[in-house]
Amino acid sequence: MSGEERVIIIPCSGIGKAFGSVGREATYVVTEELRPDCTETVCLSLLTLGDEDARRRVQKHPTITIDGCPTACARVNVEQAGAVPAAAFRVFDVFRRHKELRVRSVSDIGEAGEEMARILARDIAAKVDELRKGRR
Amino acid sequence: MPRLPERKVGLIACSGEDLPEGTVSRRAALLVLERLRPSATVTLCLPLFLAGEERERAFARFYPTIAIDGCEKRCAARATEMYSARPAASLVVSDLADSLGLARPQRLRGSDAAGEVLARAVADEVARQVDRLLAGRRETAAARQPNPTGLETEAADAVCTCVSGIPAASVVVGDQTVELIALPAVFALFREEGKSPDDAATANELMQQIKLYNAVAAEDENALREAVADEYACFWAQTAPAIGQ
Repeated sequence: MSGEERVIIIPCSGIGKAFGSVGREATYVVTEELRPDCTETVCLSLLTLGDEDARRRVQKHPTITIDGCPTACARVNVEQAGAVPAAAFRVFDVFRRHKELRVRSVSDIGEAGEEMARILARDIAAKVDELRKGRR
Repeated sequence: MPRLPERKVGLIACSGEDLPEGTVSRRAALLVLERLRPSATVTLCLPLFLAGEERERAFARFYPTIAIDGCEKRCAARATEMYSARPAASLVVSDLADSLGLARPQRLRGSDAAGEVLARAVADEVARQVDRLLAGRRETAAARQPNPTGLETEAADAVCTCVSGIPAASVVVGDQTVELIALPAVFALFREEGKSPDDAATANELMQQIKLYNAVAAEDENALREAVADEYACFWAQTAPAIGQ
């Protein structure tokens, strides 16, 4: 697969909120397990600082953001970098559908948090497939 | 009235998603926030400097800040200085690994053995810097004592300044972000009193409290009530004990 066909996944990685950790975990489930050949991530902090390479990557490739709280740092920072996210996921939306899943903490999301991340990751993987199909 | 925040040290980790040392920076910050110096530290999500408002950008002006970076690009240190104020101390994971002769981590996701050893070494160094910055402030004996494992004490939750510390928080209402004074304290109080977001009365009670501290236009009240209720449900979910605990 050529680099042009890759999809970028960027979580907020919010360090003060457990949903931030869930978003980060979901990113790695997609990039390392579900769609390792066609997805990658970019350091959000690097993008926040206006790094040229990071900006070029989100402007060139379809980018999916994952946010853990309403401030939507991932989405906002991608937009500030001059890109329009191809999709913007919120961990809270998964929680709305699965209120039985109680995330343990920021540093240890627990089994419920892992499950929430997997559910989110599957949704994202489906979106990745849809985006790639649309570009062929 | 909202309580004024205590003098603490702010930790800003780069949390870089695309390099193992970024994961170590995050792990180290959490070790300090939750285990080593829970009563003396607070954190802020780095991307919030850009996505947030003046309150977030005042972070490093309010707290002496330690930047914890994964690599030589020093995103945490540079962003803190660019958007807030110069960090009081700065630490680069890769540099510390080299200076201590520790192996570099290989995993992005979670920690491998090398990552865990390095995270603890970084956390110990950050804790030393916290003590230096707060010299003169009394710490509990437990917090002052070196903890060889760093993992044997009861963990506290990491404190984020967007939900604690500076007593205000934002909610999104339509396309607008609205900052509400005392919202974290109100949420904490409601959580302590066991007021469930699933209870229809809770949203109205939340609004009554919020209106004590914030001017809310009558025409904005319904939309704000809904946004606050959503945010409280999110807060509730993240602070509720895990099932089976």
